[in-house]
Amino acid sequence: MSDKETTAPRRLRFEIFRFNPEDPESEPHIDFFEINERPYMTLYMALNEIRETQDSGLQFDFACRSAICGSCGMLVNGRPALGCRTLTGDLPETIRLHPLPAFKLIGDLSVDTGTWFREMAERTEAWIHEQQPFDKDAQEERMSDDIAQAIYEGDRCIECGCCVASCGVANLKPDFLAAAGLNRVARFMMDPRDKRDDADWFEVVASEQGVFGCVGMMACADVCPKELPLLEVYAYLRRRTLGTKFLAD
Amino acid sequence: MKTLTNTTNVDGARANGRRQIVYELISGGTGLVLALFMWGHVILVGSILTGERGFNWMATMLEDYYIAQPTVAAIFTLFVIHAVFAARKIPAQLAERRRMIALAKGLDRAGREKVPSRRDNSPFVPHLESMLWIWQVRTGMVILVLGSFHLILLGVDVFTPLFGEHAGIESTTSMARVAAGLWLPYAILLLCVEFHASVGLYRLVVKWGSGFLPHRRYLHRIEQFIFWVVLGLGTITLLVLAGWMSPPLEFLLTDVAS
Amino acid sequence: MTSQLITTDVLVIGGGLAGERCAIEAAAAGQDAMILSLVPPRRSHSCAAQGGMQAALGNCVKAEGDSPDVHFQDTVRGSDWGADQEVARIFAEEAPIAVRELAHYGVPWTRVRGGKNKYFIKGESVEIDEALENDGLITHRDFGGTAKWRACYAAAGTGHAALYAVDSQVVRLGITVRDRVEAVSLVHDGRRCIGVVARCLRTGKHFCVLAKATVIATGGYGRIYGRYTTNATINYGTGAALALDTGIVPLGNMEAVQFHPTALSPSGILITEGCRGDGGYLLDRNLHRFMVNAEPEKQELASRDVVSRHMEQCIKDGNGVDSPNGSHLWLDIRHLGEKHLTTKLLEVFDICRDFAGINPAHDLIPVRPTQHYSMGGVRVNKDGEAYGLAGLYAVGEAACWDMHGFNRLGGNSLAETLVAGRVVGARVAEYASLTTLHANTEVAFAALAAAEARATTLLQREGTGRSVYEIRDALGEVMIGKVGIFRNGDDLKSAVEDIRALIDECSNVVLRHKGPGANPELAFALRLPGMLRLALTVAMGALARTESRGAHFRTDFPLRNDREWLSRTLARWQPDAGAPTLSYEPVGLLDLPPGHRGYGSDERIEMQATIGEYNDAVSAGQVGEGRLATFEPFGSRLRQSQGEAR
Repeated sequence: MSDKETTAPRRLRFEIFRFNPEDPESEPHIDFFEINERPYMTLYMALNEIRETQDSGLQFDFACRSAICGSCGMLVNGRPALGCRTLTGDLPETIRLHPLPAFKLIGDLSVDTGTWFREMAERTEAWIHEQQPFDKDAQEERMSDDIAQAIYEGDRCIECGCCVASCGVANLKPDFLAAAGLNRVARFMMDPRDKRDDADWFEVVASEQGVFGCVGMMACADVCPKELPLLEVYAYLRRRTLGTKFLAD
Repeated sequence: MKTLTNTTNVDGARANGRRQIVYELISGGTGLVLALFMWGHVILVGSILTGERGFNWMATMLEDYYIAQPTVAAIFTLFVIHAVFAARKIPAQLAERRRMIALAKGLDRAGREKVPSRRDNSPFVPHLESMLWIWQVRTGMVILVLGSFHLILLGVDVFTPLFGEHAGIESTTSMARVAAGLWLPYAILLLCVEFHASVGLYRLVVKWGSGFLPHRRYLHRIEQFIFWVVLGLGTITLLVLAGWMSPPLEFLLTDVAS
Repeated sequence: MTSQLITTDVLVIGGGLAGERCAIEAAAAGQDAMILSLVPPRRSHSCAAQGGMQAALGNCVKAEGDSPDVHFQDTVRGSDWGADQEVARIFAEEAPIAVRELAHYGVPWTRVRGGKNKYFIKGESVEIDEALENDGLITHRDFGGTAKWRACYAAAGTGHAALYAVDSQVVRLGITVRDRVEAVSLVHDGRRCIGVVARCLRTGKHFCVLAKATVIATGGYGRIYGRYTTNATINYGTGAALALDTGIVPLGNMEAVQFHPTALSPSGILITEGCRGDGGYLLDRNLHRFMVNAEPEKQELASRDVVSRHMEQCIKDGNGVDSPNGSHLWLDIRHLGEKHLTTKLLEVFDICRDFAGINPAHDLIPVRPTQHYSMGGVRVNKDGEAYGLAGLYAVGEAACWDMHGFNRLGGNSLAETLVAGRVVGARVAEYASLTTLHANTEVAFAALAAAEARATTLLQREGTGRSVYEIRDALGEVMIGKVGIFRNGDDLKSAVEDIRALIDECSNVVLRHKGPGANPELAFALRLPGMLRLALTVAMGALARTESRGAHFRTDFPLRNDREWLSRTLARWQPDAGAPTLSYEPVGLLDLPPGHRGYGSDERIEMQATIGEYNDAVSAGQVGEGRLATFEPFGSRLRQSQGEAR
């Protein structure tokens, strides 16, 4: 392990957005908390410490606490990030936490990403449209390992919503598919098991809700905790639309 | 994809998709042409660096061969088209614009704080491009005003003898004009145009070319290099036009004359 | 949450792989299925499965000769003969279908690359020529305790890829998913389970879901080990606790708790077994490969219980690496090279970077065995039916279907979720099609009122009791300290006392936050008693089992005792009792006779009865367990569907 634990422990000051929509007396406001920093402290540890010792009504979401489930996206000092893998050591003494914008607020730092992603999956029909029904007695269809790896790259998205929250367009237009949605679309477009062709995808991709809604702020790729090549996905989809433009109806 | 089952909607969605591609290509294409033109333009106006003779020779040449007149008209048209199509993505409501600005500022500032313990691979690095987009909108607004003024002025210059001795661009009128106070709007316009053009080109390249072009880190560096070079050239040009600096390359033409 | 009473055909509690696969099966059969989940289903802990899914496809050179039969034998050996061998057989035969079905659903399995491939095997770099005719088939990697390479994988995100593919089918079928909902009690009339009372974690309101069939798929109970677990923070063992609360349904083998050898120290985040499968080593403080001496045959790839014990022993012997957070050992995967680590083990690479600040291509990874899996759970028969209540099913880690016995092999859990989801899902669908909804609203509203009263009581109680979080932490310390890898009678007795004291404290717990809405503290206070009861069941089961089998290791009874303990623990908690009642049933029909596992100790107390005698006793023994009678005697193969109406 690297030994960056030599610096004196800091006193961290948290400024956390609070609002409980279930409580008629609750108004959106900021609460302040202070805790001592520990080595390799993550926001997961810090927030739990605050909830367990200072304000047990504080709402936030964690599940896997290892950056694979995508539950804990939040706005950390203005930047969407996964709370579980954000080290306080990377942040100044004052840490401002807000819920991810662009999603419906459940309470405090907790937002409803699940509904957003389910709706996105329904709109884009984000499942394999298979060529043949499953035959349980047949050997698996072959696929080159290169294609499998390329699909896996797109499949790595954990739907944490950081890219959606960082996207200026998604913040204003609730129906914009955003990087996460278009990444999912691209993942199925490149999958040879899916029978949909470019013409089928055309109206999803080539619309204001698709790639042409993007204004190119490029934050999605920079905030993605999985470092997915989201700009490459956008560029790939833009170029693909050119190929389909003159297709017959 | 829900629309797949509904024929009329498919047609609507498909037609809309085609329209979106056309809009995107128009706004991007006009932007590309205008940006490339602006670089050429700065170099042409930069002929003042060789002195008034060079400037006038260049202007006369472009006008005599009827390059300047259609160019002014074409650029003016492209300028208007670009403004119309690029503006379609700017949020109409003030509240929406404010929200975008707040978002962009947050992304830009996170990671700028001085933190002694920050790791090398910390995800908290300032994100610039959102703010660049905000500034592109702002410079776009400025260009719309100052650029229109400039283009109209140039139109009058090229097509009428209203200013100067004949129809066409002349160094004396241009210099007198700049020295008389137009240097300020021209300086602003120069800065805005160069910023808008280089950032716009960078964005255009990333939007369409990511994947088989170098990583955008490098593209951004190239963009910044071009920006500073062109801005430098433009600034010196403006200084010479304002008469606050003698043309540094005048010796080139005097040698030939003698 | 407008309605207090919702009805559906098939209700699945838990949106992980097993629950979703089960719901798909029911929905595909035309049943109206509903899933309740603590989190959006794609955030379920199934996504944390990294390294692979076992299925005997036999596609790569090192998997040649593999078959469901070999897989079956490995599974039984891994279980230390604690498994129900019939179930293990069904599982091994269905696993290849499950993997191929996932391929059909879109999982990008890593494929065979025909031609020369470089692997690391037992510390040596080996070049193997994969057959060109197998190019493009699903390939395998090595995992612990298997005779052949069998784990199918998608980099180190196998669970993630599988969960997303399965959830995409749930979306496709339009299955209703209510996320942020926690089941708080089962609604039953003593004979039949007719649904659950659930609490909405958005609004804090209780409501009732009535269904023809209810499926528990809530995963494991790792969080009773506090922070000493690789499990997600949502793995409270809710479903097992609900079943235990009925007083009718028994839990099986709760003392069988698996520790994973390589969890990142100190955070407890899982580092996949695939690291060792791909050629990683374990090193002690002197950078010595202690597993080579300890297990000459399998080395680092013995089963998890065996490797974990050797690691703990190594630390006990003073060969651990000291750190401010306790001792740990090293996992070395540097020799695999950065390219391998950033492709086939990408998730491991990310975790090391994000949570330990190291690059595994250059640095050693600090690891320590940590609680990982619950072999025990709601005891079900091979059709997935819980004992004692009609219409109640359990699948996946929440269930004790019992193909894992006392130790699960790596990659078998992911396979179990899908196989069990398919098999049990079909039974559930069939059951639901043959029965009608028993909308006994009187029972339902009584259960609803009881659940609301519990919450109100908690909110109204004033005083200065300990906080729920302190009790949780105390429980974790008791469990890891006294019910951990090495157990003994004294520690276990003390653990039982400690947990009972915590149960008493918990009944007087005082909430600090009493505001309306979801109230995270109230939510935790509502689940804490269940966790404590599960913990007591684990500790008492471990105390009673005076032998060592699989992951259950007693230093005072270090041998496996097939003479007296070739049995499965069943635990019921009678209403108002202070502790569970334990009873035992035979492990099931023996196909593979008890013997040496091929790793670990070869010493054991042999069984006295012959296999034939044992098998004859099986049926008799199990019928006495009050299990709802199935249509044929225990010991037959999986029914070929189309049962009579019940």
